[in-house]
Formats: sequence, structure tokens, C-alpha cells
Amino acid sequence: MSHTLHRRGTPENLKNDYVIFAMSAKGMNEIGSNEKLQQFLEIMQRFEPVNLGDMKTGNRFIKPDETIVANTRDTSIVHGVFDDREKVIKALAALKEADLGVSVIISGLFDDVHDCCREAGVEPHTCEKSLGIWGRTERLPDEEIMQITTMCGHGMVAFNLVRKMIEDIKTGRCTVKEAAEELAKPCQCGVFNPGRAEALLEEIICLWGVHVA
Amino acid sequence: MKVDQAKCVGCGRCRAYCTMGAIDFVASGRGRVCAEVDQYECVDCGVCFRAEVCPTDALYEPAPEWPRSVRSTFSNPLVEHKETRIPGRGTEEMKTNDVTGRFKCGEAGMAVEMGRPSTGARFHDIEKVAMAIAALGNITFEPKNPITGLMVDKTTGRMNPEVLDEKVLSAIIEMTVPLERIPAIIEAVRQVTKEISTVCSFDLTCKVHPGESQEQRLPAFELARRAGVRLTDNGKTNIGLGRPLFVEGGISK
Repeated sequence: MSHTLHRRGTPENLKNDYVIFAMSAKGMNEIGSNEKLQQFLEIMQRFEPVNLGDMKTGNRFIKPDETIVANTRDTSIVHGVFDDREKVIKALAALKEADLGVSVIISGLFDDVHDCCREAGVEPHTCEKSLGIWGRTERLPDEEIMQITTMCGHGMVAFNLVRKMIEDIKTGRCTVKEAAEELAKPCQCGVFNPGRAEALLEEIICLWGVHVA
Repeated sequence: MKVDQAKCVGCGRCRAYCTMGAIDFVASGRGRVCAEVDQYECVDCGVCFRAEVCPTDALYEPAPEWPRSVRSTFSNPLVEHKETRIPGRGTEEMKTNDVTGRFKCGEAGMAVEMGRPSTGARFHDIEKVAMAIAALGNITFEPKNPITGLMVDKTTGRMNPEVLDEKVLSAIIEMTVPLERIPAIIEAVRQVTKEISTVCSFDLTCKVHPGESQEQRLPAFELARRAGVRLTDNGKTNIGLGRPLFVEGGISK
């Protein structure tokens, strides 16, 4: 599934939001790939990702990094999220150098990602783009809410949880950072960018009123 | 997901975590307020349970029987599909294209993810879209996709009638087509999505072709633009580090 595609946002607030992830191909290079996927995560760690995760184990807001790295399996899909362009370029170059043999994918602003690839010495092989949301779009919540929830492509971050976090921030029950990290927890794969969520929440709380029952 | 009303203290902590907004509060028989999960709307994604916010462990998920079992297999990413052995609801699609060669030059991958973002979809809507695409003729739905496995007629897109009223967080109708069919499929999706009760996220995959210009390298995207679709600024790129690299006869990059 395209769990890192369809992230909503503006070119401005999608800047510095990168997900690098890896997996092996079933029946092709799968057997024994858990070690390669583990090495992938170790490379990610060297460049200080803002989130790290394996769909099978969880993300760094619910599991320690060591557990995520130690528990990789041949069928794992492993992820590192970055908020810094230079770190992304270095991470891509390190992955090329490591030559792990598993497939590596990067999500982000398309032109910027391709520039990063060029600078890191890797070449795009296959690309995927979103054609947007179709159908009964009137059923969707506000765009500002979706910019946060769509960072989890599996839809694990509920619209109502964002609303509750806004209410909790407004009433002093938690800080913006704590709210962003709470929103990162349900995204099992660890592709949710808590720093971007924090920035988006800062914008929202300036604009939204709050109803406290 | 269900709530053990004998344990629930009605604190409401689980409510915000529900991806479908299906948790409400009702007066229990003993004069207390308790959480209740609307079983028709719940997609068994397990988020409320995994959030570990219930102070009395009142949430529980009974082992689902067919056809309700499709809800958790499509909605809970921790449940692995037997068809794909991938947790989640899709396939490897472009993620491993450097190794599998699933999408070749002259082809495009197209996927309609029904119910995304976070609105959910019932199979009668999924069937409607699949049938509209299949009606174009000579469409091969991705055989490894679990949605294809639920079709009783893969040439028409008709789904197993037993699942039609089941609701999932999302499900992906996926296919590989020759580039020239992109405009017709976009038009079919454009028309049929006027008749569904939910939303879908639509995407397009293209192998990087030989050439200098963006139009030559990613012809599928140019065809979608010409069909009147605005592609998003962000996207996903496989960087070709998988081994062994799939070699396409003579024209592989």
C-alpha cells in the first residue's frame, strides 16, 4: 500500500518532510533480508531521524529504537523520517555505499527528492504520484486536520484525536510537543513526522476556537 | 471491537482514538454511562485497543467470523494478508519494482484506494468502482491484491456478495495498464466517484523511461495532466538499489 503517498499539505509545509524506507521482494530477495533491513535501520540511526519504525514492531514513540532494530523480519517494512535535507542526502549516499540489495524508496516533495538523489549519486527508478482525493469530499474534515492525519497512510491517526489534542493544548492539559508525540503513537510504521505535526498544530491553535464541555 | 460494559467506567478516553468515530456513550442497565462501539461502523482497526488508554481493560476484540473478518484484514495493518504476506492493505506495488519489474516501460500502475483518507468504505462502493473500470474491457486487476481475491468475477469486478455490506478503513483496487489507457481509466473513475458514498485516493505509478525531458521520462504523469488531473507536488520514488535488478529487454535503465 502507498502508506507514504497522499500526504496532504502545501509545498511550504511539506518541505523538510522526508520518509526513507526499505523492504525486500517476496519470493525474490526475501530470504535472509531481515539482516539487511536491520542494517538499513542502523544507517538511518546514524543520520538522526525524527521517527523510526517497522510496521511489525512499532514506532519510536511506542517502542525503544533497539527493539525496533532487533526485531526486523524478512517481511518487515522499515522506515526513517527526516526533517533535514542534508541528512537525507547523506543517508541516501550511505545506503548506496552499503549496497544492501533491498529496495529503497523515498517520499517527499518530488523535485526536491530528485535533486537529493542526484546529489547523493542515486537514480530514480520508478515514481508514484497522487492524483488527489475523489468522491464525496464533503465528508472530509478541515484541510488543516487532514494535513496531520494523512501523515499516517494507514489511517491510524483519527480526525477526532487531532481535535482532542487541539482542545488539550488550548486548555493547558498538554504542550504542543506532547500532543504531536501522542499523535505519532498510533502510526505503527513510524512514518508520521512529529516535528511537522508540531508546526501544523502551532498554526491550527492560533486559528481555532475551542469548546470545552 | 467491543466494550465489556461490566468493566467500562465511562471515562471516555478511548473515544478520540476511534478512526471511524464509532464509539459513543450510553446509559448502561445499571444506571452508569458506558462506552459502546457501533458494530456497523467499526472497522476493527484495533487503534483504540492498542492506544492502551482504557484504565480498566474494557476493550476487547472477539475473533471475527466470516464475512466480518475482512474488516480487520483490511483495516488493521498488523494483520498480514495471506495473499500478499504484507501487513497492510495493498501489495509491494512500486516499492520493489526495481527487483520485480511489475511496471515496465510503456505501462503504468493505477490504484484507487477506497475510503482513504479515514472515511472508510463498504464493499458495495468498492464493487461499483471496480465494475466501472472493468467495463472498459480487458482490465487485469492485480492478482496479488486482496481485493482482487474477493472478486467472484475478475473480468467484471463483481465482488463476493457476502462481503458487500462490510466496511473497511480502506481497500485498494489496483491494476497495471498500457500507458494509452490512462485517460480512459481516469474518466471512468471521474464518473463513477460521483455515485459513491465515500472518498478515494487515486494514484499513478510510472517506471522512469529513457529520455531527457520530464515528459519522456515519466510519460504516465504527462498523460494524467492532459486528462485534466492535477498531480500533487509530493510523491514516492524507488531509487533502484534492490538486487538482483530486474532487466527489461534492451530498454531497462
